[in-house]
Amino acid sequence: MLFNSFGFLVFFIVVTCLYFLLPNRARWSLLLLASCFFYMFFKWEYIFILLFTIAVDYYAGIKIESAEGVERKRKWLILSLIANIGVLAFFKYYNFLNGNISGLYSLLGYKNPIPYLHIILPIGLSFHTFQAMSYTIEVFRGHQNAERHFGIYALYVMFYPQLAAGPIERPQHMLPQFHERKQFDYDNLIIGLRLMLWGIFKKVVIADRVAMAVDTVYGDVHEYSGGCLLLAAILYAFQIYCDFSGYSDIALGSARVMGFNLMRNFDHPLYSKSVTEFWRKWHISLSTWLYDYLYLPIVIAKRDWNKFAVAFGLMVTFFISGLWHGAAWTFVFWGVLHGLAVTYEFLSKKPRNRLAKVLPNWLYSATCRILTLAFLVITWIFFRTGSMSQSFYIIKTAFNPLAKGYFHLMYRELNDDLTIMGFARWKFFAVMLGVVGFAVADWLIYKKRQFILFQVSQGLRWAGYALLVICIIFMGVFHSNQFIYFQF
Amino acid sequence: MEKEQIMQQVNAIFIDVLENPDIHIDANTKADDVAEWDSLHHIQLVVAIEKHFKVKFTTREILNWRNVGDLCSSVSAKLSAK
Repeated sequence: MLFNSFGFLVFFIVVTCLYFLLPNRARWSLLLLASCFFYMFFKWEYIFILLFTIAVDYYAGIKIESAEGVERKRKWLILSLIANIGVLAFFKYYNFLNGNISGLYSLLGYKNPIPYLHIILPIGLSFHTFQAMSYTIEVFRGHQNAERHFGIYALYVMFYPQLAAGPIERPQHMLPQFHERKQFDYDNLIIGLRLMLWGIFKKVVIADRVAMAVDTVYGDVHEYSGGCLLLAAILYAFQIYCDFSGYSDIALGSARVMGFNLMRNFDHPLYSKSVTEFWRKWHISLSTWLYDYLYLPIVIAKRDWNKFAVAFGLMVTFFISGLWHGAAWTFVFWGVLHGLAVTYEFLSKKPRNRLAKVLPNWLYSATCRILTLAFLVITWIFFRTGSMSQSFYIIKTAFNPLAKGYFHLMYRELNDDLTIMGFARWKFFAVMLGVVGFAVADWLIYKKRQFILFQVSQGLRWAGYALLVICIIFMGVFHSNQFIYFQF
Repeated sequence: MEKEQIMQQVNAIFIDVLENPDIHIDANTKADDVAEWDSLHHIQLVVAIEKHFKVKFTTREILNWRNVGDLCSSVSAKLSAK
């Protein structure tokens, strides 16, 4: 069930109403049942995989807490990590690994005897697996008591607003919320619905509309001019941002309506002045997870290497981050490029600070922002294409403005009409205007640290909501497009 | 060594590592309170403190610090165990 579908709207209304109608002691069962239903909508058999890891982690958590001595606790933690990583590795990385083995075999002139398996990736596997591991690690570190209520623990892993694509929560933040008695709160309702409205707008009006142009160009890159390829790459940055942050807004909003606070996952990352800053503002729940459970243990263990420990920790972390996103070398390459950029920024902090003192503030900030955005746009090309050779072709063509025909907007004939990047001409310019309008609105929210629509008078506010709804109905794309991050 | 002395010396290390002479820390100071104390420079502070006091923290100790007060308590405990 997708957040941008009519089915979800009905599901959300029914579950929220029932939640407040039921007595407090029955609410966890309702949420768990609803979450199971939500999950089974994608592929019902996979509920057993989830049940398996939930049971293992629930038991391991109690054993970690009650075991005497660090070594015994560590054994139970390792068991839990093996179960979680094992399931993730099988479903997500088996064919990737097997493909690489086949490559090695063919180099030697042999045929790979290991069979290829047709595996459909369970929805949200990377997200809830990381969230489950966070639980046993925190119990092991002594930051969290083992949860004794099996249903509440299952809900911690399966809570439907965050099940499909995060935010990847922490037990200290979520488990107490499931034990609390929630009262209906008008402010929560309004804040939650506003977030959902803004999220749906970002997804169906901006992301999915922009996706049409991006898909058209990326579907046939050799037919398009360098200018078109550059424009498509820039548009993809807005598409992926609106898609994933739109999803997160809907997740946060639908939980907030019932009184649950999920962690903030985005903080206007496209305006970052460095790649390091970008990772503090993009998919925050994943970057903090990787920082706490991967990067920090590595640098603590290798701290005698001093700055090299940081560089090593960063490269390993970003390599894993790339692999987490997808089982393909393009994702790994994307991760490694980000690792290199953050390492460079760490090592060059002194000279960059000196430069910042010499240059006017506005010039330094603007240059940093443009360079960071350019880096993001270029690296997302690898993320989008899934092919190294195609990615390099796009970069080579898109950044060669002296080439003949670079600035040609590619007109194509479709049903006796001329189209630009898959759109009728007027629609193309309307979409561009929409993206620029969104970028301005997002910048203003970033600068004011508040949604402008929330600060104006009540009349204007409701007019704004109405405008967003009208835009969603008349300009939204409702082909039930999956969210980009659902594939991870 | 008194906790106050430890705090002063840790403050001097913060100033040196983070290259900001205006840093003033106390027991309640957290990473969010010091602009330069980011996730990447955290470990450099730990290494500098270990070298200065000639102590070695365990991973668990480092992961459990919530603020400068916890850090100084770890230093104090290590020094008195010597």
